[in-house]
Amino acid sequence: PSLPEGWAAEKDFKPIGAITASTQRTIEPVGPHFLAHARRARHKRTFSEDDRI
Amino acid sequence: MAEKGAAGVAPDDRCAIGISFGNSYSSIACTIDDSPVVIANEDGDRQIPTVLSYVDGEEYTGNQAKALLVRNPKNTVVAFKDFLGQEFKSIDPTHCHAAAHPEDKNGVISFTIQDKAEGEPSTLSVSEISTRYLRRLVQSASDYIGKKVTSAVVTVPTNFSEKQREALTKAAQDADLEILQLINEPIASVLAYDARPEAKLEDKIIVVADLGGTRSDVAVIASRGGLYTLLATAHDYEFAGVQLDKVLMDHFAKEFMKKNANVDPRENARSLAKLKAESEATKKALSIGTNANFSVESLAEGIDFQMTINRLRYETIARKVFDGFNRLVESVVKKAGLDVLDIDEVILSGGTSHTPRIATNLRSIFPGTTNILAPSTNPSALNPSELQARGAALQASLIQEYESDDIDQSTHPAVTTVKHISNAVGVLTLSEDGETFTPVIAPETAVPARRTVHVAAPKDGGSVLIKVVEGGTHIKVTKPEPKPKENGTKEDEDEDSDFDSEEEEEEHREKVWKIGSTLAEAAIKDIKKGGKVEVTITVANDLSVTITAREVGGKGGVRGTLKAP
Repeated sequence: PSLPEGWAAEKDFKPIGAITASTQRTIEPVGPHFLAHARRARHKRTFSEDDRI
Repeated sequence: MAEKGAAGVAPDDRCAIGISFGNSYSSIACTIDDSPVVIANEDGDRQIPTVLSYVDGEEYTGNQAKALLVRNPKNTVVAFKDFLGQEFKSIDPTHCHAAAHPEDKNGVISFTIQDKAEGEPSTLSVSEISTRYLRRLVQSASDYIGKKVTSAVVTVPTNFSEKQREALTKAAQDADLEILQLINEPIASVLAYDARPEAKLEDKIIVVADLGGTRSDVAVIASRGGLYTLLATAHDYEFAGVQLDKVLMDHFAKEFMKKNANVDPRENARSLAKLKAESEATKKALSIGTNANFSVESLAEGIDFQMTINRLRYETIARKVFDGFNRLVESVVKKAGLDVLDIDEVILSGGTSHTPRIATNLRSIFPGTTNILAPSTNPSALNPSELQARGAALQASLIQEYESDDIDQSTHPAVTTVKHISNAVGVLTLSEDGETFTPVIAPETAVPARRTVHVAAPKDGGSVLIKVVEGGTHIKVTKPEPKPKENGTKEDEDEDSDFDSEEEEEEHREKVWKIGSTLAEAAIKDIKKGGKVEVTITVANDLSVTITAREVGGKGGVRGTLKAP
């Protein structure tokens, strides 16, 4: 949508809510993307840190 | 998953394959230049019957052993895989009726067979039977590769208990085979498709229908950024390949009795074995051609029997079983809390999936947008019998360089059990008909997750407000006007409803997004005419959200973080 008149926020960003619902589930330990996920999880890296390596 | 480090092989010395170990058939596969190849055994079979037989002290497996079911049923073991790690009272010995019977030997499921040329028959545990069979499978693979196979990834059903997994690992170790990992069968099938070079990485909901010989397993899987999560599974022992064999056996037996009164080939064990073997062969022929021959020499009381059957006739007499498959698939989709409209892809796996009618039936259950991956409905589909072995071989090639400790740690629940968001997260865009929701991260996505979308800014450019919201799907049912059905939608056109004119009330069902609570707003100022905005949303482990938005090609942009709930 277009920016309404008079909308303002600090650094143009206004946090309003948070994610409401989630469930605990198990991912299948299979496939290249899982192995990448496991590597990140074990080294406690974030996506962007992982990208840089 | 539960890899016991006893038979660990150093990563450098490994030669790993994928094994699909089934009750009826097993397959072996290796990878050549990163693409999976299913290996044929010395008989030239890629689907190797899970049968072990002894004649005069000589060991036979695969099709050779299967053929011995007619002459030598007592010393032939079939359908033993599901007995591994089980209690005697919990097994169903139906499928062993025409072969060696399982017995309870001090709490261990065993078979008594004459496996030596002379002397007393041996009592062998199901674990020992599995070990001998696996040894032969591995030998076939070693002969093909020209190198001793040391390790394997083996597929197991999703309801295989921890005890069964341990028993299988143990049986493999006794065959000098290191189990790198046990992976779930439906996931192996998905991996076989996703690893093809032409496959695109997409967020989608997949139904895997694994229709086998003695059992059928159906799973609903959320595939999110190449990570797979099982949403629901179902297992059925009433509707599978043997029930289709049974339909043909009864059909041919009745025809035989029309010509030869008072001779029922089902009443004599040997005649029954011949009838069963040929019925299965006829069934397979009917998956390929529209006509098939059934002929058995000396079927019963020395009388030969021959007849042909066409596919249409077979589909008519087997309709009950086919309907069972439909119900099974529909029930699992429901169990996952989903609608058929939510399903993006249906993967048909397992030997029975070669049946064209089953794919056609599923085609009519699911909307036209659902991709049905079966040879008869999709030219790019892979061979349903090979999927699991291919998936296992791919996984084996991915992890064979890892130390077994590494594999253990990576598959630990601490790594695999994570939060999945229940609602979609997306952005609102304006179009002619009001606000629309564009999903960025799909529901049931495992966190951490990061997705990026490009949304078009208003035509004339200017400043825009990016509104990040949650969204849920629901099914909107619109009943059209009673008489003409000019809905203007192209929904039902590709349904080939030849003779399944079900009592559809001609209602139109569609999936719509319901906009949930707003998470954040961000402003992007002074966008060029026809510009686009790139929005990246990252959800972290603790469900905190980072949002960055910038004009495509522009600099800077807005970045902000939402705290964890």
